[in-house]
Amino acid sequence: MSKNLELLTAPLRKANPVTVLILGICSALAVTAKLKPALVMALSVTVVIALSNLVISLLRKGIPSKIRIIVQLIVIATLVILVDQFLKAFVYDVSKQLSVFVGLIITNCIVMGRLEAFAMGNGPWESLLDGIGNGLGYGIILVIVAFFRELFGSGTLLGFQIIPEGLYNFGYMNNGLMILPPMALIIVGVIIWLQKPEEDKK
Amino acid sequence: MESLSIFIRSIFIDNMIFAYFLGMCSYLAVSKNVKTSFGLGVAVVFVLAITVPINYLLDKFVLSAGALSWISPKFADVNLDFLTFILFIAIIASVVQILEMVIEKFSPALYSSLGIFLPLIAVNCAIMGGCLFMQERDFSSVGQSLSYGLGSGLGWLLAIVGIAAIREKIRYSHVPKSLKGTGIAFIVTGLMGIAFMSFLGITFK
Amino acid sequence: MKDRYIFFYITVLTAVVALLLSAAALVLQPYQEANVNNEKMMNILQAADVNVEGANVQELFNKDCVKMMLVNSKGEVVEETTENYTSSAAFKMNLKDELYKRDNGQDFVLPIIVINNGKENVNVLPLQGAGLWGPIWGYIGMTSDFQNVVGVVFDHKSETPGLGAEITTEKFRSQFQGKTIFSDGKFVSIDVVKGGVANLAADLQKHSVDAISGGTITSQGVNNMIENVLGSYLPYIEKQ
Repeated sequence: MSKNLELLTAPLRKANPVTVLILGICSALAVTAKLKPALVMALSVTVVIALSNLVISLLRKGIPSKIRIIVQLIVIATLVILVDQFLKAFVYDVSKQLSVFVGLIITNCIVMGRLEAFAMGNGPWESLLDGIGNGLGYGIILVIVAFFRELFGSGTLLGFQIIPEGLYNFGYMNNGLMILPPMALIIVGVIIWLQKPEEDKK
Repeated sequence: MESLSIFIRSIFIDNMIFAYFLGMCSYLAVSKNVKTSFGLGVAVVFVLAITVPINYLLDKFVLSAGALSWISPKFADVNLDFLTFILFIAIIASVVQILEMVIEKFSPALYSSLGIFLPLIAVNCAIMGGCLFMQERDFSSVGQSLSYGLGSGLGWLLAIVGIAAIREKIRYSHVPKSLKGTGIAFIVTGLMGIAFMSFLGITFK
Repeated sequence: MKDRYIFFYITVLTAVVALLLSAAALVLQPYQEANVNNEKMMNILQAADVNVEGANVQELFNKDCVKMMLVNSKGEVVEETTENYTSSAAFKMNLKDELYKRDNGQDFVLPIIVINNGKENVNVLPLQGAGLWGPIWGYIGMTSDFQNVVGVVFDHKSETPGLGAEITTEKFRSQFQGKTIFSDGKFVSIDVVKGGVANLAADLQKHSVDAISGGTITSQGVNNMIENVLGSYLPYIEKQ
């Protein structure tokens, strides 16, 4: 049991796909200017990783090894299309904000990476857990980045005003730089910086 | 004129790396020295310049709403939009595969320097991203989509060669211990992105 | 033998995937179309200054919409609809295509949607232009004599959140209410200006609004969009 728990929790910190393995940064950072799209993106990616891990793990004995990359791509693309269709049908305004970035989940290296490294060699249950863990590990970074960017960039969280009006009267200003794309990279850089000494101790 | 403006914009303003963070995985993994970065960059330019126009035609004549009406007016109501992702990725994967075979056959020298990067590129988000942005921007001719593909590729090449040159030099400076490697690469990319934002003022009229 | 297996495998996989996706698309399409139409109706109503808070948008739209028209480049009404609004040409029209035809010297038609907001009949016109990163669009509601703005709605594909994307906020949009697009009978559009409308001369203030700080290019896009699109309606407006 504790081994299964390990599958879920390890990707959150010491094997975090974003900050430690440096995978899947591509599509994600552009959706972190506000917290809400970041949460939806994190959830979508978790669903896609978990399900594609499960499907590939179920199929793993039958997949001809010559075409396994193509098979993996087809499974991922299908799941992503389904997620995209669901978002468009039921949370239309969020799907508008995410626009093309939902499609980019297909080329998110975390998904491909987990399929190759884990699902091809492990059972369905473990693969599902591993997928959820990695999805959450990715999500947590998105949420941290989005939290700081929205709080300091717009003074809001999930659209609600957080920084009190009084502070603005004293000359506090929203930091416009936080909202611009480059700051997302710098925040991830800082997260890596803070995380690294802890690992070195272990 | 329009095409030229798209070309310049896609290199400097809508830069794949600095404005959209696309292709970051290979960007960070490969940018340790200038020579290999240049190789990967050229491969990306190649693949983008080929796949974006192909996917443009696919989108215009097969996928978008009513696109099939050129076969018969009966199909005017057919909308295959939902197949976009899967067909785009299929085109990308096959173009990469074919390109690899062609290069291997006709130019072994080029193959030995580019070949190892080609398989990496099929899952490079910059390619898929380029195709999806092409669809979103709704260009009005193949020429425009070609100049967009080429420009985005060159922008990516510029970014990866730039960071590689910086990373070669940074090895000799005193970076805090836990920031070494990827940490500092992230931050430097962010700073380069801020510098690139000054191109925002460029407009064509 | 091996190759045949691969071939078989990929065929079955493709068939399963195709079946699954088509089924999902068929089931979900009505919801997606309803979303798109609902949003469009909501934007049109908001531009006419109708309160849509908590209301059933579809019912409200069918109740408040007076008629839809298509006008051509000479300002003549070529089509008028008073029912089945969501399937009418004026509602479904792609403004971008028409503007493209206009710029290439071809014939084009433009839609006008007349909404009764309880106080007056408002002419709602669609807008389409370019921001910093991608397209921006919206609707502008004008009084029946086309002199004053009743309300505006803007939307965008990919403007910078917190900067250019602020064009969708109430704060930016409410500035347009009551502004005029004519000065001494001449078309002047609405200027989106930097540096504060309050510092301008009084007669300029009537057709100027404040730009978004940090969102210069998007604000400029809004400015050009309004001028460009309203300009094409002038032949019709002058006949009123």
